[in-house]
Amino acid sequence: MNQKMKLLIASALTSLAMLSPAVAENMLRVSYSEDPKTADGQMTTDSYTLPLNIFDRLVESETTAPGESALVPGLAEKWEVSEDGLTYTFHLRQGVKFHDGAVLTADDVVYTFDRMLNPATKALNTDILTFIAGAQDRLDGKADSVSGLKALDDQTVQITLAQPYAAFLALLAAPGASIYNRAFTEAAGDQFGLTPETTNGTGPFILRDYTLNDSQMLEANEDYWRGRAKVDRLLIRVVTDAETLRMLFESDEIDVFDLDYAPTQTPYFYGSDQWKDLIRSGPRVGIYYYNINQAKKPFDDPRVRKAFQMAIDRQTILDKNFYGKGALENGVMPRGLTCYAEAAPIEYNPAKAKELLAEAGYPDGVEIKLQQAANWSPRWSDMNQIIQAQIAEAGFKAQIVTTDEAAFMAARKVGETDNYTQVWSADFNDPDNFFYTFFSESGSKSRAYNNNDPEVFADIERARGMTDQAERCKLYQDLTTRIVDQDAAWVPLFSLDHSYVVQPRVKNFVVPWNGWSDMNYYNVEVE
Amino acid sequence: MLMFALRRILVSIPVLIGITLILFIMLNVVPGDPIALMMKEHGSPEVIERVRAQMHLDDPLITRYLRFLWDALHGDLGTSIKLNRPVTDLILKAFPNTLMLAVCAALVSWLIGIPIGILSAVRRDTFLDRFCMGFSLLGVSMPIFWSALLLQYVFAMKLKLLPVSGFYGWRYMVLPALVLGWSSAGVISRLTRSSLLEVMRLDYIRTARAKGLGEAGVITRHALKNALIPVVTIMAIQVAGLLSGAVITEAIFSIPGVGRITVNAISSRDMPLLQGAVLFATVLVILGNLVADILYSVLDPRIRAQMKKEA
Repeated sequence: MNQKMKLLIASALTSLAMLSPAVAENMLRVSYSEDPKTADGQMTTDSYTLPLNIFDRLVESETTAPGESALVPGLAEKWEVSEDGLTYTFHLRQGVKFHDGAVLTADDVVYTFDRMLNPATKALNTDILTFIAGAQDRLDGKADSVSGLKALDDQTVQITLAQPYAAFLALLAAPGASIYNRAFTEAAGDQFGLTPETTNGTGPFILRDYTLNDSQMLEANEDYWRGRAKVDRLLIRVVTDAETLRMLFESDEIDVFDLDYAPTQTPYFYGSDQWKDLIRSGPRVGIYYYNINQAKKPFDDPRVRKAFQMAIDRQTILDKNFYGKGALENGVMPRGLTCYAEAAPIEYNPAKAKELLAEAGYPDGVEIKLQQAANWSPRWSDMNQIIQAQIAEAGFKAQIVTTDEAAFMAARKVGETDNYTQVWSADFNDPDNFFYTFFSESGSKSRAYNNNDPEVFADIERARGMTDQAERCKLYQDLTTRIVDQDAAWVPLFSLDHSYVVQPRVKNFVVPWNGWSDMNYYNVEVE
Repeated sequence: MLMFALRRILVSIPVLIGITLILFIMLNVVPGDPIALMMKEHGSPEVIERVRAQMHLDDPLITRYLRFLWDALHGDLGTSIKLNRPVTDLILKAFPNTLMLAVCAALVSWLIGIPIGILSAVRRDTFLDRFCMGFSLLGVSMPIFWSALLLQYVFAMKLKLLPVSGFYGWRYMVLPALVLGWSSAGVISRLTRSSLLEVMRLDYIRTARAKGLGEAGVITRHALKNALIPVVTIMAIQVAGLLSGAVITEAIFSIPGVGRITVNAISSRDMPLLQGAVLFATVLVILGNLVADILYSVLDPRIRAQMKKEA
């Protein structure tokens, strides 16, 4: 045992000789509450900071103003879309180099997208590419390649869709559509993105160190095609405990404090003379909502749904539970989303809600259930309790049912959960990401709305293929009126701001358009 | 002795297999789909189903268990579903950190626990006794997340003597070792005290005193030797426990150890990883017990004789 013990102790000691996070010249130090697990955006649907900083995409979503974005050229210098909206031709930028020195070619793009759809990859982010012709066959193992993906020459990629999809470009800007190098990635196999040695992109930062559950160290890519990043190094730490995080920040061991990980600290920082001018805040393209399941009585009656909408005092919830840092939403699209327009306000009026319930045949009120999953954060149970009390005034006698998340998911998949509250943030900047998720034929059932309105289904499908953007936006705005105002099929609650506190030495920190915690640090400076 | 150890190791094999079986069944009874949990709100049913099938998660329970057992016997604990890395690698990489923490915490708990226990026993029923016992009781009773917060606040935030959290050198080990060591010092000090008091009543101590030995000599040379036997047992088991991961301490101080991995595995229903972590912890506890027994026999000739008989 002695030899083994000595070995273990020796390795324990060497593990201590790791890089120290002390303030280094020109290093930005940020933190996340969970380990990202991988830099490979195809293999994750929720940790995007590594893909956003290590790789580039054909097109990029650039934050133009708080909560606003524009699609700008990325690895593709320009592109054309055929008149029928089916064929996309991308012209790649000349001379873009991967971190290992290889030059980007059209074949790399074809390889990257084929890799995602290859069943052997077991990728999680495949939804981004399923619109490409032949994608489904590749996913199902019926084809060895994707018919809609072609490299016309070294600099030109042609992607053909199975049917026109207006949001396709926006999807290609998602972190999951990051571009990889064929030779390198094939060699790395299933280890791609897990270690510095098996990660290679074209992005502004190079992965230099990755210690699971501890930190990742990134270094500026000197040859980056847009010019070198402003900081030399980017340290990303994993800090799970919110109190610890605050102490790390206040003792200047972290440069950016993400209030999402410690929302209860909001009043402290906003009230602190030292910190209040260092708060950076921006809207988040995401909507808190209350689901309504029309398959469950009494919610089959539109009057009851309308009463439910009117019985919730959304402003109070926003003020009490979220310190008022956000804005009420009245539609399906939150502010900041393409095509967003102000929708008809939903009035808080318990008296009128009571009348509506009486009209619907429930003069003495009605018993209903609200559902939540046991492992959701306390934010949801807090909201449910406050809502339970609010709607009681209108006559809804609500019982809160708590189930295991797996049981919740299983029931929801077949459209059988009771009304629940959740939040949806934009994966990509297009209304389809909201409407299709909740109110398409498959979404309406699998997210337990059962809003079986064939016209809504048809319109959502039609909007996907429309090429005239103004007409398309008009359709989404009409759909909003129909779904929220006429059918009262869901309750929009509010969207929240995302606030960060930064150290005085941090400059140029901009909250990304979607309000995500995962972001690209290319433009951030430290003094 | 060797025979005894061998016998104990052989006996523990069925225990290990039993534990993997129980764990496997339990994990499959508890609802929760690792793929759905991994994809969070953005998972669509079609993708979840496809990836489940690709990862062979839909195979029958018995097939999966036998596959696991077969691979485990060949030294392969499989690949973590969520982290996509070999389970053995994950545990072995995290273990040195946990080992470091466990050794430091154990040292702290002995350095606090044993002297305090001796002091209390010697000054039994005095103010000092009550103060010492109160101090160690406080360590056991204060939840770790609270004492950690307190120490972080005082030593890192206010006095700026030590770092708040992280794991990049010995300075980072001081606070977690103190917190964890203090919390387990209570058991050691109480045990030392009561065991010492018991021994002090025995005849051979009276003999030692009668032959004119000073009180210090009586305690260090005669009483302590016997009084520490039960303490050593607890120490060995305590170290085994610490080695399987101090979950809360690791989380608060951001130490990438085995405890963090285990908790991640539970919350994400990462079956291969959890199997590996539990198997690892079981082996440690079995070894800890074995070491305790062997130490016991080294310290106590009576037990050595007993072991020979058993073997």
